[in-house]
Amino acid sequence: MKEGLFSRAILWLVFLFLLGPFIIVFLAGFSAGETLAFPPTSYSLRWIFEVLSAEEFQRAFQTSLEIGLLATVVALLLGVPVAYAMSRMPPPGMGAIKQILTSPLIVPAMLVGLGLLRHFVLLVDAPVFLGLLIGHIGLLTPYAVRVVYASLVNLRVDIEEAAITLGASRSQTFFLIVLPNIRSAVIAAFFLAFVTSFNQVPVSLFLTGPGISTLPIEMLGHMENSFDPSIAALSTLLVLFTMAFVLVTEKVLGISKYM
Amino acid sequence: MVAHDKKRLGILLVTPALIFTVVCFLLPVLALLLDAFRVGGPDSVDGAALHWGVDRFVAFFSEPLNRQVFMRTLRIAALVTLFSALLSYPAAQAIVRVSPRYRGLVLGMMILPLMVSPIARTYAWIVLFGRNGAINSILLQLGLADEPQRLLFSEMAVFVGLLQLLLPLMLMSLVSSMENLSRDITLAASTLGANAWQVFTRVTLPLTQEGLIVGGTLVFTGCVTAYVTPALLGGPKVLMLETLLYQKVSVESDFGTANVIAVILVAMTLAVNAGLKRISSSRSST
Repeated sequence: MKEGLFSRAILWLVFLFLLGPFIIVFLAGFSAGETLAFPPTSYSLRWIFEVLSAEEFQRAFQTSLEIGLLATVVALLLGVPVAYAMSRMPPPGMGAIKQILTSPLIVPAMLVGLGLLRHFVLLVDAPVFLGLLIGHIGLLTPYAVRVVYASLVNLRVDIEEAAITLGASRSQTFFLIVLPNIRSAVIAAFFLAFVTSFNQVPVSLFLTGPGISTLPIEMLGHMENSFDPSIAALSTLLVLFTMAFVLVTEKVLGISKYM
Repeated sequence: MVAHDKKRLGILLVTPALIFTVVCFLLPVLALLLDAFRVGGPDSVDGAALHWGVDRFVAFFSEPLNRQVFMRTLRIAALVTLFSALLSYPAAQAIVRVSPRYRGLVLGMMILPLMVSPIARTYAWIVLFGRNGAINSILLQLGLADEPQRLLFSEMAVFVGLLQLLLPLMLMSLVSSMENLSRDITLAASTLGANAWQVFTRVTLPLTQEGLIVGGTLVFTGCVTAYVTPALLGGPKVLMLETLLYQKVSVESDFGTANVIAVILVAMTLAVNAGLKRISSSRSST
């Protein structure tokens, strides 16, 4: 059992390496000092309140929320039909279609942002918000397809055929039989896509401008010209928020099944 | 339902997503990549006629700084991939042996870092490596250093940050491929006299090759295309391809060089993906 002990020890080291830094962010986030130092000399909620009341962070948070929700909903509306078609009625040329639809996963995200900026925003003079939204939708659609497809493959076709034999139309079958059965996969896809959009940096880098900035981009900008612990405080809030989110979704949906 | 109708419905269902991806994603990115091969033209500096060629690539690689950035990107990506595999094998082995009771917890701990904003994850290393950071205050207190050391903005900092960022991907790939590997097989090998190293190289490694390849691809391309971590931990001195691209566009408005880097990035990810497909298909055919 010596070997088992060794791998357990490595596992603990890996978890320490992966999760330990969060504790450091927490401690720095509750610092009372003027500038970032570790370990902090004293602790307070000062910077937590500071970032919660900062107008630029509030605005960026709202933009991130809007983009995340809108992009996720559109990505699901585009992706779920594709997943359904792929698993039940593959159209001719499915291989090529799959290649095209999953290409956003292979192309580095920053190029999507740059491509949209140059050949969409600058050339067609499209609004920046629209460019940002489109970039996020493109990124999230493959996630939606993949997660929902995985659960459709595991769903038995018999029950749909039974419904059709009993006189239901295709759309009735989909909304009354299929959708309720893949509900948890759709919700999991929603959460995954939303988190991906909310944390997204490279796509947004070139597509945010004066007045429109997402939370991660605003954080990066703030870091460039300030050394106060506000980003630590904001990161603390984000980590706590994500922790609650992951715990709840893992308990309710078992999100790890879809990753 | 008739087969013909079914086919039509299938086409109908994929059409919106297909149009969206082609118009809003594929075309802008392709235009960007094509621009890298377009040289000269009306607004060129020396008034050269517009033609297609690889001049921009020759110019890019003739610059020592660019070569350095290119090699650094390859080096860091290779090192991070190697170390994530070395750490993940024993860790994944421990995870598949965890009792079902604690399984959800362990998987949750593995996924949590992936869901947290890369900025928050990278920020921890700034706190640790900074001038007034934890490591420097320990070094000073122990008398191992007389003044704060410069730990941030180094290749080491970028390596550590990327390893923490991407290790969960390797871990997850290896865990899922090890779950399919029955415990009896390794047990049989050791009963028949193989030592731990032989069991690993002759049984575990070949049977989990798929997970290693998938995880390796994810980690390698993740390193090559990461922006936040190299930007924050490497700074303007330790540039990688993606941070160089951003700098070219935002600071110098040099779209030409940015296009060249874009092509290099895509070529790298495509090459790694093609390599993966080739290895896994040759494995399944034997």
